[in-house]
Parts: sequence; C-alpha cells; structure tokens
Amino acid sequence: MPITFHLKRPPTVPLEAEVLSPDVVGSLTNSEIRSLTVYHGKRQLPLSEFFDVEGEQSDDLVFHGALNKVRWVGRAMSRGSITVHGDVGMHLGAHMSGGRIEVHGNASDWVGGEMKKGLIHVHGNAGGQVGAAYRGSNIGMKDGVILVDGSAGLEVGMRMRRGTIVIGGPARDFVGLQMKGGTIVLLSGAEIRTGAWMNRGTIISLQPLQLMPTFACSGVQNPVFVNLYSRFLQSWGIHLPFAASEGVYRQYRGDLAVSAKGEILIWQPA
Amino acid sequence: MIRITGGKVYDPANGIDGEIKDLCIDDHGKFVASVSGGRTIDATGMIIFPGGVDVHTHVAGGAINFARAMTPEDHRRTQAFMRTKTRRSGLGGMAPTTFATGYLYAGMGWTTVNEAAVPVLSARHTHEELADIPIVDKASLTLMANNEIMLDLLEQGEFERAKQVVAWYLWAAKSYGIKAVSPGGVAAWKWGKDAKQLTSPIAGYDKLTPGDIVTQLARICDEMGLPHPMHLHCNNLGAPGNIATTLDTLKHLEGRRAHIAHSQYHAYGGDGWDTMRSETTQLAEYFNTHPGITTDAGAVVFGDTVTITADGPWQHLLYKLTGRKWGNLDVENETGCGIVPYTYRPSNLVNAVQWACGLELLLLIRDPWQVFLSTDHPNGGCFWRYPEIIQLLMNADVRKECLQKIPDRIKSSMVLPEITREYTLSEIAVAMSAGPARALGLKEKGNLGLGCDADLVIYESDPDVLKMFGHPRYVIKAGEVVIEDGDIREAPQGKEFLVKPAYDPATDEFMRPLFEDHYTMSFENYPVEFERLEHPELRDCIPVTER
Amino acid sequence: MGGKVTCTLGEVKQRADFIIYWGGNPAECHPRHFTKYTIMQKSRFLPRGRKDRTMVLVDIRETKSAKAADIFLQIRPGKDFELITILRALIKGQPVADEQIAETGLSRAVVDDLIARMKRAKFGCMFFGMGLSMTRGKHMNSAALLCLAAEMNAFTKFVAMPMRGHGNVTGADVIMRWQTGFPFGISFNRGYPRYNPGEFSTVDVLVRGDCDAAFIIGADPGATMPQPAIDHLARIPTIVLDPHVTHTSRIARVHITTAPQGIAAPGTAYRMDELPMPLKPALKSPYPSDEEVVRRINEAIARKPFWLPDGRQPQMVATLG
Repeated sequence: MPITFHLKRPPTVPLEAEVLSPDVVGSLTNSEIRSLTVYHGKRQLPLSEFFDVEGEQSDDLVFHGALNKVRWVGRAMSRGSITVHGDVGMHLGAHMSGGRIEVHGNASDWVGGEMKKGLIHVHGNAGGQVGAAYRGSNIGMKDGVILVDGSAGLEVGMRMRRGTIVIGGPARDFVGLQMKGGTIVLLSGAEIRTGAWMNRGTIISLQPLQLMPTFACSGVQNPVFVNLYSRFLQSWGIHLPFAASEGVYRQYRGDLAVSAKGEILIWQPA
Repeated sequence: MIRITGGKVYDPANGIDGEIKDLCIDDHGKFVASVSGGRTIDATGMIIFPGGVDVHTHVAGGAINFARAMTPEDHRRTQAFMRTKTRRSGLGGMAPTTFATGYLYAGMGWTTVNEAAVPVLSARHTHEELADIPIVDKASLTLMANNEIMLDLLEQGEFERAKQVVAWYLWAAKSYGIKAVSPGGVAAWKWGKDAKQLTSPIAGYDKLTPGDIVTQLARICDEMGLPHPMHLHCNNLGAPGNIATTLDTLKHLEGRRAHIAHSQYHAYGGDGWDTMRSETTQLAEYFNTHPGITTDAGAVVFGDTVTITADGPWQHLLYKLTGRKWGNLDVENETGCGIVPYTYRPSNLVNAVQWACGLELLLLIRDPWQVFLSTDHPNGGCFWRYPEIIQLLMNADVRKECLQKIPDRIKSSMVLPEITREYTLSEIAVAMSAGPARALGLKEKGNLGLGCDADLVIYESDPDVLKMFGHPRYVIKAGEVVIEDGDIREAPQGKEFLVKPAYDPATDEFMRPLFEDHYTMSFENYPVEFERLEHPELRDCIPVTER
Repeated sequence: MGGKVTCTLGEVKQRADFIIYWGGNPAECHPRHFTKYTIMQKSRFLPRGRKDRTMVLVDIRETKSAKAADIFLQIRPGKDFELITILRALIKGQPVADEQIAETGLSRAVVDDLIARMKRAKFGCMFFGMGLSMTRGKHMNSAALLCLAAEMNAFTKFVAMPMRGHGNVTGADVIMRWQTGFPFGISFNRGYPRYNPGEFSTVDVLVRGDCDAAFIIGADPGATMPQPAIDHLARIPTIVLDPHVTHTSRIARVHITTAPQGIAAPGTAYRMDELPMPLKPALKSPYPSDEEVVRRINEAIARKPFWLPDGRQPQMVATLG
C-alpha cells in the first residue's frame, strides 16, 4: 500500500519539504511521517499542517493537490516511487540516485537537477534547467532518464554528462548548454542557441532548428544508435524515425568555439 | 577572572615543556601570578598550548572575496554555521565567509591570524572584512614589491626616497608589515610577461632586477624597524627547477632579516612537469646554516581547494593546465591577483611532490623556531585542515600510510620516505604558535608568561592526534572562554595590529603628482582613515640597528 | 570555463591601447568613463593619449558613443551571443562560414580585422553594458564576453569588466560575498545562506509571489521590475528606505525618509572595479542615515524572542557526499 498525501491548504510562501522522499518516510510510522519537519518560509512546522497522510512504511508515495509551492520533493531519493496528481514545485527529484517519479501535471524549474540515476516523467510542462547543473557546478545530470511530455524552459540539460532527456513540446533557449555527454531528444524543436558551447554528447531534433553559427554540417546519415534509442524509448510511446525510406538525419558538429566533438542531428523527412 | 588548574603546560617561549602548572587570567585578559575568585577550570589530564598564530593566510580582501564568488558549488557542499541568538551564519569550505573564518580558526585553537596580501588601494575593503572576522586578533601585510612608483625610485637609485614612500604607503594602508610577491613579476604580468631571473632587468625597466628589489626592500623593512621582517614570496613560484631562484634570492638577503613565505612552492628540482622533484634538502640546509631567517611551510594537503595569489602569471599557467575557472584582477600601480580552483591528487607527480615538500621542510629544518605551520590558506589547502598536518608531523606511521597512496615511480622524486623524525608536542607548540608569534614580533602572543595575552587552547590528551587537535576542549581568547566542548560560547571582537613607521612629512607633497598620474581616485581619499579600524592597536617600529 | 579576468580602472587608464564597449552607451550613461579612465587619458605607456588608443563600439544602434569610437560595429539585435561565440571559434583558428558571420550583421572582413586588432593589442579591455547583460541570453551573454577575454590571454593581455548601474550595486555585491559567500540571490530561511539565482533573486521571488513582506533599501523596483512583481509589492507589507518619493515608496505601506548617501550621509561606495571609495557628506540632513535606521530596526528585533521555539535550531538541507 502506498502512502498518500493530500494537500490540505496551499502554502502561502514556498514550502521546503525535502523529507518527502521514500528514503526518509519509507521506514516511518504514520504519526512519525506526520510530525516530520517542513519549512514554510523560515518557520518549522510539522508536515501534518499541510498534508493529510494515509498509510505508513512504504517506498511508494502518492501526492494529491496543487503542490506548486512545494519544493524538493524526492530530493536525493535512491529507491521507490513518487506519483504526483497535480502540479509540483521546484527541484523535483534533484540529486536523485534511483527510483521513479511521475507527475500528472506540470513541474517547475530544476526537474532532476544534478540527478545521478532513476526516472522522472512529467506529463505536463516543465520549467527551466531540466537535468541541469546548479550554478557554479561543472556537472549536471550524471545518468538516468527525464521525460517531459509538454514544453520546457531555458537551459535544458545544461552541463549534463550522461543520461537521456526527452522533451515532447517546444523547449526554449540554450538546450544542451555546455553539455559534456548524454542525449537530448527534442520532439517539437527548440527556440535558439541549442547546443551552445557543447563539448560532447548528442542532441536529436525531429523539427528544424536554428543552430549556432559555430556548428558545421558534416553530412547526412541514419546512425544505428538512433534505432537503438528508439527501441529504448518505445515503452513510453516515443518513436524516433530512422528508416532511410522515411528520411535522413542531417548531422552538425560543434560547438567550434570549444571543440567539435558534440553533435546535433536534425531529422529531414523524405 | 579565570584560574586553570592541573593542566600540562607547553609554553616554549618560556622553556616550559609539559609541566603541570596553574595559569591565572585577570579581567584585562592577561596572564597574572594569582587571582582570587572567578571561574576555575580543572584541566587535570589535559594539555595546554598557547593559542595558535597563523603567520601567513588569506582570509580577507578583494582576492579571497573574488574566490568566494567563484565557488558557489563548494559553498553548497560544505557544513554551514547556523545563525543563533549570539552567532552570525556563514559557510566554511575552501573560501570561508568572514564570520565562519573566525569560528573555524577559534574552533581549532587559533587566536591570531596574519592576512598576508593587501593592496593599498583596496586596504579599506580588507579592513572592513577583517572587522567581520570575529574572535581572532588580526594583522595584515601590504603588497609592495611591484609598486611602480617605488620601482621607479629604485631604478633611479633613490633609495632614501623609496624608503619614505614605502613608509607612507604602509601608513596609508594601516597595516602591519610589508609583503613582497614575486618582485617585478607582477609588474611584468601586466604586459603578459613574467620575471623569473633574479639578475635580469624587469620588463619595462633598464637596470632594475628582481634581486635589487629583494635586497633593497629588505633593507627598507630593517631600517624602518618593522616588528615583522620583509615577508617574501620568491620569484618563480611553483615551477620545476625553481630551487636555483630561491637560493639565489636567499643570497640577495644575506645580512638582512626576512621571512620566506610558503617555501614548499619554491623547493623544486627538475626541468619540466614530468621531471619535477623535491629539492628540500638543499633549501633546509640553507635554513639550518642561517638561523636568522624564518619561513612557513605552505604545505599542501590532498583534495579540493582554490588557489589565490598575487602571482598572476602562475595563475594563468594553472588555468591553462586545469582548464577550469580563472579569475584575475590587476590592481593599478600596485599589484594583481589570480584565482584558480584546484584539486591536489596523490596520483599526480607534481601534486605528490608538493605534498611531500611541505612536510619535508617542516621535518628537515631542525629548529622549529625557523619553520612554521601553514598551508598558505587556501592555496595548499584550507586552514581548517592544520590538524591533519600536525598528525603527519607527529606520527611517522601515518606518513607511511599516506605514502602508500603514492605511486612508486613518484616516490623516488621525494625524500619524505627516508625521514623518521617525529615532532614532539613542544615542537608543535613552537611551529603553530610561539614561533610564528616571535617572527611576527608579537611578544605577548604565543606566550603563556605573566603579562602576556591570555590566548590559549586546552586539549583532552588523546593518542589520536587528529582528534585532539581538531576538537579542543576549551579555547580562551583574551581571557574569555570562546569555545567549550565544541560549542562557540562567545564571539568577541579581536584587535587589529598596525604600525606607523616614521616618514618625512614632505612625502605627501612628493606623492601627490605621482599619485594623480598613476591612480584614478582622489589623493585625499586614498589613505584608510585610522577611525575606520575596529579595535586598532598601534605597535612600535624600532630600527634593527637600535635593538 | 567561468570566472572573470579583470583589473581596476587605473590599469585601463595606464595601459589599455585597445578598448571595446559592448552593448553600452557610456557617452550618455557613464559620461566620465571616456575622460577619466579609458580613451582620453595620457599615461607613461600611452603618452599620446587618445591617439595611442583604439576604441571599438559594438551595439545594435548608433548611439552618441559611436562618435567617440574609432570603429563602430552595428550588429543585428539578439546576435551578441552568436558573434562572441564566433570570435571565440575564430581566434582559435576554427572555421566559421561567411554566411554564418553575415547573420550577425558584420562581414568576414570586418570580423577578421577586429580579431587582428585584438591580437595585436598590448593590453585589451572589454566593457559590457545592459545592452548585453539584460537582453535575451542575459547572464550567458556576459559569460560569453568574460570567456572571450579570458581566452584572448593565450595571445595577449586582455581583461573584461561590467558597466554597473546606478547606486552602490557593487558594494552590496562585495559585502554579500564576504558575509554569505554569494553575491545576490540568497535565502536565509534555513538559518544559513543559500544561493540560487532564478529561485531566490528578487525579481523572481516577487513575480512568483514567494515572499510575504519586502524591505527595500537603495532601489526603486517599482520603476524597473515587471508588472506582476510590482503588483505583489503592492499586495504585501512593503517597507522602503529612501531619501525621495519613488515609484516603490508610493505603493509601500511604510516609507522611512533617510539622508541621501554621499550627500548627507557618510559611508563607502564600491566603484564598478570593486575599489572602495569613502563617501564624505557635503551637507547635513535632518533625516537619519540608512545605516542608522537598519541598526535601530536590528536592535528592536534583537529584543524579540528568537523566531524558532526555545531549543530548536534550523536544520541544514543535508549535504550530499
């Protein structure tokens, strides 16, 4: 039986609730969970001030309500699952190293910030800095998968090193900024400066992109790994075209300002 | 008033080596023969040291503040100091915030620190930061060896005038002494060049060499009678084969007082990064035969840190080697500084040699009154890691264990594996307190004698040296118990030491036109107002010949 | 990647033989910049003053500053980041296609000439204004220029510096850094400083309505911030310290009139190159200084009970190994 959390009243200022993680609540009784400390602004309050909690001792957490101002849900979680029915606030699944998070609603900025492993699936829109490095850090997402069905904001996958990010809707500027590895898939394209200053890694776009001047076309191809990726993403209903009869990928190398080891593949239907 | 009874006292300044002895402190925070009333601390079975003195650290001013801004990722992973009713919040880590700096130093028993690099132009900023470092007493050194007005005077052979100008600058900065960084090298860096040879003229000058600056500035410090001799960061820092430059520099100093900063960075042989080796035996031999000169180790500890130095060319090189962040700030007429985050790794030849060199110097220089504990914070490592170095000095077995992490091919480039010396407690007390206090000319520091400042640290005796020095039982500063059982009890404001060397009043009018030519602020606004210092304490200047 | 390579303005005055202003209009916004620091001054290294210096202005429109420039480069709006990135590639000898360069509004010949001049310079300095730092791309535009300046040091001496706005912005930045470790965008809600621009920066906090009170000193957000931020300021208790009636003071619950800094109140201001300048008041004011008001508020707060119940301490967000 999962533990369910119903939001009783929306916080008036941000509610920092990094305790909402299977690693913290998994072994606790119902009353222990309800007395966990959360921060409403600078005030320490028991979790029960904001949530009705049902169930105990489970690694599966289910949330109901508009959690827009609830931050750090699933921070550094290593196991179990979190399901949110509603919107959720910043830093969802930041630093997580395992388990899965599913949001039936929108998420805010820093979804999966500096995550190490695991899966995050946002069915609505996400904010900026999906899977990104926090300011000053050299390395963003290290591994894992982030799927956003809707749109995403600025700096998706900034400085990521490994792992996969798929954005279903349009993304804004600086997708893959200073990327060092991993793969970003853009099903509906992005605004400008995609792949700026990328060192390594791959960005695949199924829509035309306006590229940085420091990317050079290095030919057309249908790489085998796209096929493998497509199979990997199939279970979430995502299809990457790869058959030569359907079209080709135009390959661009860059960013020449830093190296020419990153690649952007843009799908061109036949 | 406090009476401390039954403790085993280490007070090398007074030849006391582990005697059971009572100490009494009066209401003015000084040691006295007896007190009646007040608190009694039973220190039976405990060890008492004079409070630590850091002769060379970078804790306040434009450069470290630049480093703070450049390393938010480090601030996030470090332990924070929470705000309480009596304590300000702060962050530790590679470049701690000001309040945290005071708490961290006091927390391990250090009670006096010397900020070793202040450009006059931003001295006002440095003093404001020093005022925000609680508990410890502070001193600061003014950067002088690349000041173009002074260099011009030396080039023209105007020694007397140069001396007046240096004294004028020192009072303008309201600081305690003179720091010389890579003489001529920073001035050359402003054209993207360096000064590596002591006997070749500096870029932009016809005659003046780094060697001339070294000799003449040391003489100026002696003739002005500064309590602390010239504090010298030699040319060619960090470069393989720089031992030749260092020994040459020391020759230029003969007959003068001097303190050589972070000598670990100046004791390398080899002719490239892949042949670099330790030459500490040569350097230690020089110190062993020249008892008048002092140094601090500038030891390196493995791990992350951020390097900060006025040595701009070195920092550009380090940036090119690491490909990481790089900050650089050139200060008009006076100096410059560079900032590069860095990780010292045991598997890296250069880093391993650096680590060994610091310990080797501490162990090979026989007289602990000549070589002091420092990491050139934050360059070789953060000051809060001093207990780790103390452990390595006191325990040859721990050193052996650490050496096991170092690849064999590197071990032949160092002499550390052959050294068996272990520091005694009394020697540690010299290296961390009594020695640096004496070198700084602070007679009432590092000294538990009557009339001296009641700054002391009480440790629980523990065979685990790291634990013992990392977590003192009590720290007392100016007679106040500031740390007790690991908690900060009080955070009083410390003093700031400075000097006012005599200079010809006509120097003002001499400086004015030059100033207007070289600088971009108004002449009247340049000197730091004495009133801006919090708890200043003026110290006397006595020319060396009259001592 | 990251960091800043800079100097004090006196270094520019003494040595800079090549100066670029990017996205700024100093002739109108920093009127003394040319004469005091950058292009008009003579020095021992540049004895002929203006004649020994080359000034390049990069902007999207021809401002008054263009008259003072030796070379004016008019680029297409929103192409700053692209042009700087092209320069970063070209200085390293990486190829960039002519038509890509042309997209920025400049020809290859012009860009090649600019690079040749940059590399020939003995001491180059780039100043950048809000035309760069506050347009699309924001902090990344500034980062791009700082990066270019750092990379130019492989060829010659180069530095970069932001043209800071009015008020003592630099001073606030410097002091926040030494007390908290961060320049701005700081939250103290957990009892210690935490930093995340975008989450804790003032404009974002106000736009999202994340605060329930505001204390404003030395700024007029009511005049510069987006409407949702201003609406939130009007909704919550807002306290303003200002010598004047401002857009913000009009919507504030409390406006405490203070003595103007530098005119009737002493203190220290940090110049854009982070040098502290003492402020010596010329006039007397019947009003208290900002410092005095804040000190008195602080004293009153100190008499109140600690914000957490007795014996409770704030808890750090756990650090990650």
